[in-house]
Amino acid sequence: MRPVRAAVLLVGPLAVLLAACAPEVVRQPAQLVAVTEQSPGTTQILQEASISVGPGYRRVIPRGSVWTRIGRSTQGEVFKPVDRVFTVEGAHIHEAYLVLDGDRVVGFYLPVERAFSSAPDGPTRLSIRRREP
Amino acid sequence: MLLALLLSACASGPKYTEVISTLPSLAPAQGRIYFYRPSALGTAVQPDINLNGQKVGTAKPHGFYFVDRAPGDCVVTAATETEKKLTFTLDPRQERYVRLKIQMGLLVGRIVPELVDKAEAEEELKGLSFIADPLK
Repeated sequence: MRPVRAAVLLVGPLAVLLAACAPEVVRQPAQLVAVTEQSPGTTQILQEASISVGPGYRRVIPRGSVWTRIGRSTQGEVFKPVDRVFTVEGAHIHEAYLVLDGDRVVGFYLPVERAFSSAPDGPTRLSIRRREP
Repeated sequence: MLLALLLSACASGPKYTEVISTLPSLAPAQGRIYFYRPSALGTAVQPDINLNGQKVGTAKPHGFYFVDRAPGDCVVTAATETEKKLTFTLDPRQERYVRLKIQMGLLVGRIVPELVDKAEAEEELKGLSFIADPLK
């Protein structure tokens, strides 16, 4: 058997196996303190960023996307995407909001699970523009 | 003959573009969730789709349907070889779009529900057929 064909035969099923056996997104319970202002601030992404969101999964934060500050957790300020969706992924897929410490993504807030998940690769700095109310 | 069999396994109702303006308007206290499967790959795999533990339809290739629900937490699952669930929130008058993506497994394919942006979903929905009674 040719080496290339053998590699394809091995790697294909292995990739399927890994995808099927992805571990859960690691998370811990978190309390979100909602903002009280009528028109909370927003953050606009100035430069596209690719960040790890789970074991083997990445998401792109598009340039120009706008995120509304909806509250705060002990880990940082929580931003919800405007007119788009954002998810993190492991064994399952969860809707998620960005948790920022200044201009760094430190993790994700999962609104259904009411939990915080740390950024798997550590904090990632974003190029952003803030608009206060 | 095989082609005919495969085609009959796909949804065949009116297209999204034909029915979207005729769909009932959304009640103020409810949200709407669209489910759609754009690919015919793995046609034989058509598992039940559950929303918060209740069956709302199946993963019919090239088809879409919707359900209106009270706002709150949503958990979507597809009963296939391995279960991958999707969690998201639903607000009043909000529309959500769940793509049912086929992913080939070790023995058979499985359906992975994904939350999709409205703009992306509407583009994919254009060529899909409306399933008026998804529980049938």
